[in-house]
Amino acid sequence: MTVDVAQRADTAGDRVDHHRPRPWSIVWRLTARSWLNLVRIPAATIPMVIMPLFFTVAFAGAFSALVLIPGYPTDNILSWMGPFAALQGAAFTGLGASFALGRDIEGGFYDRLLLSPASRLSIAGANVFFVLFRTVIPVAIVLLIGAIGGMDIPAGILAAVMLLLGAWGVAAIAALWGMGVTYRIQKQSAGGLVQVGVFIAMFLSIGMMPVDLMQGWLPHVAKYNPMTYIMELARQGFIGEVAWESTWPGLVSIACGVTFFAIFAWRMFQRVTP
Amino acid sequence: MTRAAVQPIEAEALVRCFDEIRAVDGIDIVVDKGEIFGFLGPNGAGKSTAVRVLTTLLKPTSGTARVAGYDVESQADKVREVIGVALQDAAIDPLMTGKELLRLQATLHGIPRRLAARRAKDLLERVGLTEAAPRLVGQYSGGMRRRLDLALALMNEPDVLFLDEPTTGLDPMSRRNLWEEVRRLNREYGTTVFLTTQYLEEADQLANRIAIIDHGKIVREGDPAALKKSVGSPTLRVDVADEQQAIAEQTLQAFGEERPSRVGRVSIGLEGGAERMADVVRALDEAGIVIEHMELDSPSLDDVFADATGRRLEGAADAEEPAE
Repeated sequence: MTVDVAQRADTAGDRVDHHRPRPWSIVWRLTARSWLNLVRIPAATIPMVIMPLFFTVAFAGAFSALVLIPGYPTDNILSWMGPFAALQGAAFTGLGASFALGRDIEGGFYDRLLLSPASRLSIAGANVFFVLFRTVIPVAIVLLIGAIGGMDIPAGILAAVMLLLGAWGVAAIAALWGMGVTYRIQKQSAGGLVQVGVFIAMFLSIGMMPVDLMQGWLPHVAKYNPMTYIMELARQGFIGEVAWESTWPGLVSIACGVTFFAIFAWRMFQRVTP
Repeated sequence: MTRAAVQPIEAEALVRCFDEIRAVDGIDIVVDKGEIFGFLGPNGAGKSTAVRVLTTLLKPTSGTARVAGYDVESQADKVREVIGVALQDAAIDPLMTGKELLRLQATLHGIPRRLAARRAKDLLERVGLTEAAPRLVGQYSGGMRRRLDLALALMNEPDVLFLDEPTTGLDPMSRRNLWEEVRRLNREYGTTVFLTTQYLEEADQLANRIAIIDHGKIVREGDPAALKKSVGSPTLRVDVADEQQAIAEQTLQAFGEERPSRVGRVSIGLEGGAERMADVVRALDEAGIVIEHMELDSPSLDDVFADATGRRLEGAADAEEPAE
């Protein structure tokens, strides 16, 4: 194992070699810490499992008659609502990063991280990395419920890959947005504001209804909402085959969203650390 | 200048403002190698802000500060490599175990796994937490949390250790244990310690040198004995009934300069010291004053603070109440 060691001969003589922390080790360690915290707070773990399950069952049950509307893209409501529920779960996972960050800042634990020579990017990035890990759970739950409930998956394994890709995109964007707001406000209460933004983006997309069947101002908003294209990317394999023309707009939306909110989060982060 | 010659802490005209408030207002500090430097002041005096600037958590508004020779602004990463910090509220995640926290701290400082395990074991033994290490920190007492915080601050074997009010909220026994640990650290490892405190006794017991800070400015600086000596005469405190306070003040004026005190008590710097006590008692008796309580103390750091600021340090009166 090679260790990057900064040799110093200074005020304390040669007593200690100060080691330079490796960013990847820090990301792993902080991710492991987040997992432990999640497991040790049942109040956080239960919603993580229950919410995607609830969303899938509730949406599919309450809106089952939607498939009877002429022009609805599928006759299997689970295939339409399942991916939406998975992306909702992913968004919730992203929001969790904001709450966890707020807790650390309020409790002073974040100062401990900032007082270390660890790279600032690895400290901030660990939050997003953990979110990506955690996002697998709602996606897996939705797929499991779908398999039990008779969800159509015409694209097979590729559908699951696209769903996971979309979920990761939504989770990363929600996490970065949440982190930015939390760095700015420096309190757990930032979570409330963060939720509003995420919910608006989710519900003003094609989460429940395709654009062609929307009325009034909704289709105009949905067309310009990047979440629409991420949803399309994630859902395509459940209502048909995976196609490039349904994939690339979603990928571009994720790339733009992640870039924009990463810059936002980083700028806000610089307010808490010189 | 060689690195071996640099001062552990140097600050010059350091200022930190929060909007219109100058929390730290142009302070100069030089801390020598191997010194325990006490930063004494009441709540809101600017102690913690100064620590946050010196430990790179806050940028100075103006002025310069160097820790172990590194500039806190332009070489913040270097500063963080060589310092250990235990902040005021023991910022410890209650959902982690002591062992996990030490492992995390080692990772944050890039300490290789084997070395980290060895240091963690040593530190846990040193602070008496070996048995408690596998338990969640949320189950620790206040004293245990402080000791763990100290162990965490020592994980990277820092050249300069910052302790921000390390014993606030601790019971007397835990407080003394922590003092002993700080002394041992300084004695055996030569670690330079920058200690902020609002407790006079703590500063008196631990620090080789003290700076008293009030409203963001350093109002006195020196070694505790010299500071106390600078106040001069011992403090005579006389408790009288409220209605007799004015006449007691008038009577005692003849024996020395009045010093800040609480209501119901008259304090003076007794010129001539203990030898004049009999004269004081006689004068008070002749004035018809009933003495409820009387004490003569050698100058304390509280007297130094009072001499410099015109008021007593918060909580000092309670701490100095004589045992009944």
